[in-house]
Amino acid sequence: MDYLHDINAFLPGVIVALAGLVTITIDAYKNDHGSIYGLTVFSLLAGLILSVMDMFGPVGEAFTGMITYGGVSAFGSSVVLFGALFCVLISREYLSAIDHEYGEVYSLLLIATAGMLGLVSANNLIMIFIGIETMSICLYVLAGIIKGQKIGAEASLKYFLLGAFSTGFLLYGMALLYGATGSLYLTEIAEGASSDLLFIAGAALLLVGFFFKVSAVPFHMWTPDVYQGTPTTITAYMATASKSAAFVALLIVLSKMIPAETANWAGVIEVIAILTMVMGNLIAIVQDNIKRMLAYSSIAHAGYLLVGLAAGTPEGYSAVLFYLFAYTIMNIGAFGVVAYYERQQGLDFTDINNYVGLGFKKPLMGVLLSFFLFSLVGIPPFVGFVGKYLIFAAAINAGYIALAVILALASAASVYYYLRPMVYMYFKDPHKDVPLVRSGIVFRSTLVVLAALTLYFGIAFGDLHNLLSSFYTADWVTHLVGQ
Amino acid sequence: MFENYLPIAILAGVAVVLAILLMTLSRVLGPYRPNKTKLDPYESGMDPVGDAANRYSISFYLVAIAFIVFDVEVVFVYPWAVSYLDFGPGTLVSMIIFILELYVGLIYLIKKGALDWDLKKGMFN
Amino acid sequence: MEPVTTTSYIVLGIALFMLLNSAALAVYAERRVAAFIQNRWGPNRVGPYGLFQPIADVVKLLLKEDVTPARGFKTIHAIAPMIPVFTALMTVAVIPFGDGLYATDINSGVLYILAINSLGVYGITLGGWASNSKYSLLGGLRAAAQMISYELPMGLAVASCILFAGSLSFIDVVNSQEVWWNVIRNPIAAVIFIVTAFAEANRTPFDLPEAEHELVGGYHTEYSSMKFGMFFLAEYMHVVVGSMLITTFFFGGYHLPFAGLWLPEMGVTAKAILDVSVFVLKTVFFAFLFIWVRWTIPRFKYNQVMKLGWKRLLPISIFNFLGLAVIVYFWHHYIA
Repeated sequence: MDYLHDINAFLPGVIVALAGLVTITIDAYKNDHGSIYGLTVFSLLAGLILSVMDMFGPVGEAFTGMITYGGVSAFGSSVVLFGALFCVLISREYLSAIDHEYGEVYSLLLIATAGMLGLVSANNLIMIFIGIETMSICLYVLAGIIKGQKIGAEASLKYFLLGAFSTGFLLYGMALLYGATGSLYLTEIAEGASSDLLFIAGAALLLVGFFFKVSAVPFHMWTPDVYQGTPTTITAYMATASKSAAFVALLIVLSKMIPAETANWAGVIEVIAILTMVMGNLIAIVQDNIKRMLAYSSIAHAGYLLVGLAAGTPEGYSAVLFYLFAYTIMNIGAFGVVAYYERQQGLDFTDINNYVGLGFKKPLMGVLLSFFLFSLVGIPPFVGFVGKYLIFAAAINAGYIALAVILALASAASVYYYLRPMVYMYFKDPHKDVPLVRSGIVFRSTLVVLAALTLYFGIAFGDLHNLLSSFYTADWVTHLVGQ
Repeated sequence: MFENYLPIAILAGVAVVLAILLMTLSRVLGPYRPNKTKLDPYESGMDPVGDAANRYSISFYLVAIAFIVFDVEVVFVYPWAVSYLDFGPGTLVSMIIFILELYVGLIYLIKKGALDWDLKKGMFN
Repeated sequence: MEPVTTTSYIVLGIALFMLLNSAALAVYAERRVAAFIQNRWGPNRVGPYGLFQPIADVVKLLLKEDVTPARGFKTIHAIAPMIPVFTALMTVAVIPFGDGLYATDINSGVLYILAINSLGVYGITLGGWASNSKYSLLGGLRAAAQMISYELPMGLAVASCILFAGSLSFIDVVNSQEVWWNVIRNPIAAVIFIVTAFAEANRTPFDLPEAEHELVGGYHTEYSSMKFGMFFLAEYMHVVVGSMLITTFFFGGYHLPFAGLWLPEMGVTAKAILDVSVFVLKTVFFAFLFIWVRWTIPRFKYNQVMKLGWKRLLPISIFNFLGLAVIVYFWHHYIA
C-alpha cells in the first residue's frame, strides 16, 4: 500500500503531530499536566529513536515526492527532535516555577516540531511553506505565553508581525520561482534554472525569507526582543530546534534547488555571513541581559553556519550539519542554566551583574554553565570547537580565506562576552545574599546529560562526522535527490 | 462556458440599477428638512453620550477567527465531495483525518469556553 | 452545462419580476397570517381583503423623509441597504423552476449561491456600523457573529447534498432527487438547513440583530424612508429565496415525490406548468413556515443562539457529512 509506505517514511512527524492533537484534547477535557507532559516526552523520544534509525537507512521520496526521508532529512529530524525533547525536559520545572505551565505549551511545542519535521524533509516549495508556517505560528503563540507581562506581549507581537512580513517575501519568491520554472519540486526547479531576472528575483526573495527565519543580519532585528520576552526554556527551543530546522531547509534548498552556476548565491551568502558574524559578536559584547547576550550570540552562530553554506562544498554542508547538532546541545544547556537562575526569587537573574558569586553557591550549576559557555566559545575539548574547526577547514579548502579569517577573529571577540558571566560568577563577591532553590532531579540530570554530550562529541566526534560526510559522497547531488 | 455567466452579469446590473433607483426615488419624492436634533443618533430620547465606536466584547473577534478556520474546511469539502467517488479509499481517509483534526480544534474551543457567551462562564468574563 | 438560450432570458425576467412581487406578497401574507394566528383581522381596508396594502406601504415609505445621521458615514450608510437587496436578487439566476426552466446552468451553482448568500452579512454589518449609533452597532455586530456562525452548518448541510448529486450544478442537484428527495436520504441535514436558513434571514427565533426590546431597531435604528424599506424588502426576499433553496436542496425542487417512478411522459407545456406549480407550491409552503414560526416561537437569548450554532449544529453537521460520505462511498463501490 502506498499510503502505508508514505506514512512510514514520515513516521516521526506523524507520531509527533498525533501526540499534539491528543494533548490538545486531553487539555480540553481536564487540567492534567502530568499525562500531557508524559505523552509529549514519550512521543518526542519515539520520534527521535525512529529518526536516528532512519539516518542509517535508505534514502527516498514519499507523498508523491513532497518529502524525502533518510540522509540529511533524517539527521535534520534527529536534531530537531533532540532539541525539542531536551527543551521539554527542562521546561516543566521552569514553567511551573514561574506559574505559566499550560497544557497548550506542550501541544504547541509538538505541533511546531511536526512542522519542523516537515520542513527538514521538504522536497517541494509548498512543503517548505507549510512547514515554516506550522512552526512559526506555534512559535508566535509560545513567544507570548507570559500573557500578563508587557515584555511577553511585545515579543509575541513583534515576532508575529515581522514573521508574517517575511513569510510574504518567502511566498512571493516561491511564486516567482514557479513562474520561472513551472514547477514547485526542488529538483525540477534546479533543472529549469536559468539566469533570467525572474528566477534570480525569486531565489533572492526566497533567501530573504530564510535569512529572516535563521536571523541573519540584516534580518535579525526581532531576535533579541523575542528571545528576551519568551520564557527561557521556550527561547532555548526557538534558538535551537527552529533554527536548526530553518538551516537544514536552507541547506536543502541551496544544495538541491539553486545551482551555483546560474545564481551566484555564494557571494550573497558570503556577505551576509560576514555581516552576521561581525554584527552579532559586536553587539553581544555590550549586552548586560544574559538572554539578550545569548540572542546576539545565536545571531553570531548563524553567521558561522552561513560560512559553511557559502563554502558550498560537500565538506561545508556536512560541517554545517555537525555544527547544528553541536549548537543545539550547548545552547539548550546554556539556556537551561539561565532558566534555573532566572526563576529564583529576589533578584533579576537575567542581568549579568547579578551573577556575582553564584558559582560557589550552587557549584553544579556554575560548572555546567561554564561547560556550555566554553563550548559556545569554541574551546577544545568541547563540541563547539569541533564544529567551528570543521566549518573553518571547509571554508579554507573551498578557498574562502577571508571568510575563514573573519570567522576566527569573530570567535576571538566572542570570548569576551562568553567569559564575562563566568568572571562574575567566580571572581567577584556577592553584594546581596539570595537563597537559591534547589533544582529538580529531571532538570539537573537533563543538564548533566547535555554537558556530558558536549564533552563526548567534543572528543569522539569521528563517527558522527564520518556519517555526515557519507551523506555527501562523490555523487552527493544525486544522492540528495534520491534517484 | 463563460456565456453561461452572462445572465448573471445582466442580473447583477439590473439588481444594482434597481437598488439605486429605489434609493433615488425616495430622495426625490420625500421631503428633506433636516435639523440638528433629527440628525442626532437615536438614544431613547436622551442626548447622545459619546461615540458609538466603543470597545466591545472580545467574543466577537474569537467567533470571527474560529469562523475563518471552519469556513476554509467547508470550502475544501466542496470540490472533494464532487469528485471523491472517482478515487480510492485514500481520498476518503484523508478527508476524514482532515475534518477530525479540525474537530479537535472545535472541541478545544468549546471546552476552553471561547464560544461561551454566558455571563461568568466564558473565557474572558 | 446547457447553453444559454432566449428562454433563459425570459425565465430570468419573469423570475426577477415574481421575486419582487413575492416580497410584497410575503409582507401581506405575514400580516394576514399573524392576524390569523392572533385571532384578529389584519390589514383589510386597502383593496379587496387588504391586498393592496403592500403598495400603500411602499408609497408611504417613498414619501417619507430620508434622514442620514449627521455623525455617521454617509456613503456607507447609503450603500449598506443596497447590499441585501442585491444579494437576494442575485440568487434567482441559478435556481431551476422546472425542467429546462432556469436562467443559466453554471457548474459552480452551489458555490455561487453560498458566496452570494454570505455577502448579505456585509449590508447589515456596514449599516449598523455606519449609523454611528450604539443600538445600530450592537445590532450589526450581533448580525455579523450570528450569520457567520450559521454559515458553517449551512455549508456542511449543503455539502452533504452534493455527495448525492456529485456535481455543484443546481440542475444535477435537483435531478438527483427525482426519486428520492434529499429530505428522506438526509433528514438531519434538512433540519439543519432549515434552521440555518432562518438564522441567515435573521428571522425569529433568530432575529437578535433587530431585537426591539433590547436594541430599538437594531441595525436599522437610524434608517428611514426607502433605505429602511430596502432592508425590509430584502428580509422578505430572503424569506422567499430561503424557501426556494430549502425546496431545491432537500424537497426535490420541481419534482413530485418519487416522480421518477410513476410520473408519465408529458408534453413540454404541460410538464412546464406542472413543474412550476409544484415548485411554487413548495416555496409557498416554506414561506408560510417562516411566518408560522415567527408568530409561534419566542426569540432566543444571544448566548443560546451561539451555543446552538457552534456546540450543537456544527458538530452534528460535521458528523452527518462524514457519515454520509462513508456510506455513499461504500454504496457506490460495493453495493450499487
